[in-house]
Amino acid sequence: MNRTFSRESRQLARTAARWLALLDSGRASADDLQRLQCWRAASPQHEQIWQRAEGLRQRFQEVPPSLAMASLDRPEPNRRTLLKRGLMVAVLLPAGWLLSQQTPLQALRADLRTAVGERRGVRLADGSLLQLNTATAVDLDLVHQRLTLVEGEIALNVSRAQALHVELGMARVSVGQAQVCLRRDAEQCRIAVLHGSVQVRPRHGAALALQAGDQLTISADGSGAMDRFDPHQPDWRDGVLSVNDQPLGQFLRELSRYRPGWLRWEPALESLKVTGTFRLDDTDRVLTLLAASLPLAVQARSRYWITLVPRQKAA
Amino acid sequence: MSEAASPTEQTLHGLYREHRSWLERWLYQRLGNRWDAADLSQDTFLRVLASPQVLSELREPRAYLLTVGKRLLVNFHKRRSLEQAYLEALANLPEAQMPSPEQRWLLLETLQALDELLDGLPPAVRRAFLWSQLEGLNYAQIAERLAVSERTVKRYMAQAYEHCLLVDL
Repeated sequence: MNRTFSRESRQLARTAARWLALLDSGRASADDLQRLQCWRAASPQHEQIWQRAEGLRQRFQEVPPSLAMASLDRPEPNRRTLLKRGLMVAVLLPAGWLLSQQTPLQALRADLRTAVGERRGVRLADGSLLQLNTATAVDLDLVHQRLTLVEGEIALNVSRAQALHVELGMARVSVGQAQVCLRRDAEQCRIAVLHGSVQVRPRHGAALALQAGDQLTISADGSGAMDRFDPHQPDWRDGVLSVNDQPLGQFLRELSRYRPGWLRWEPALESLKVTGTFRLDDTDRVLTLLAASLPLAVQARSRYWITLVPRQKAA
Repeated sequence: MSEAASPTEQTLHGLYREHRSWLERWLYQRLGNRWDAADLSQDTFLRVLASPQVLSELREPRAYLLTVGKRLLVNFHKRRSLEQAYLEALANLPEAQMPSPEQRWLLLETLQALDELLDGLPPAVRRAFLWSQLEGLNYAQIAERLAVSERTVKRYMAQAYEHCLLVDL
């Protein structure tokens, strides 16, 4: 960090730092404390930096000491070693691992994965494009032209005729010269065809072909439902969520896939209607926008624990 | 993209076209992971974009990209190593003390912020400061652990505070 600071701010930080170091020594006299009061009162800048200093100390007090010590006082390889070739080839646990609720351990076996809120696109060797939506895990075996969607959602654009076989648990889909959106969670999997046609082989039941515009949802109990797919559904590839007159509950369930932590709402809000296009990379802002356009208020215990309540109730 | 690109944008596009795959390869050799390499290379170009005045004066674009890229790579490693140390510490916690998934996530974010705040401090200064802030050790105890005088500890503390206050500015 090569920031430059003015002489004044340097001087200010230095003076405040000396006061802090004196206080922490436990050897400050009544006289010292008196002089500190005078210094703070001498100018708004002094008081301001003092407030910030107290905030700084507060931040260290908010973390559990032993965990913080073990993390912050770790042996650190120096910069020179870090820049050497091939040092970090070992695969470290991804940040998503921490969100054990959202990302089950099973996901660790996957080749490619995204954390909650993350999206990623991968160009495969044959030119096909694979895009992973939030909290998604994929096992890719290109030797056998197989791809397993462990969980989450992908978009796949296969340009060549030879099919790529995608395992969805409840069904297997063969995609060649076609564009599809595939989604899988514990309860169901969903196959939507954007372009071309694909072969679907459900685990229970006969194989069938889906055409562009078709969407098939297969539940864990083996039952299937065919309908037209919503053309806005693949908008996540562009980082947006577009809805038209959607019940708020449904919208929030979708939105919470992109947010770490808990997002809850009171049942009274479930059927309010939402219309709009929202950016997925700033879901805090989406909530603010909802509060601005609907009769609801956002109650935040922390960024990761949000409850939406009817507005009059919040007052 | 139908609007005419400004000269800066043109320079950036040219820069991106010519050097992206080279930079990505360089990062890949150090990360061993293509996706992280692609992310970091994107970040590098974004940083360059954020300081457009540099673009027009660039004589050695690759040297400049490498400077920015190296800094991002070092930060990336620091975040990863913090995460690793944190996960290890978590794994060693008794079941009853295990924070909830939300708390774990929040804590990691907080620790990352603190880590960035302390970044650049000499190791002894950093330690003295952590012992004081986190474990509540007094200067005499810190002096003993570091085998330095109490005066030195006080100087370390002032140095750490000054650093944090400036970075936090």
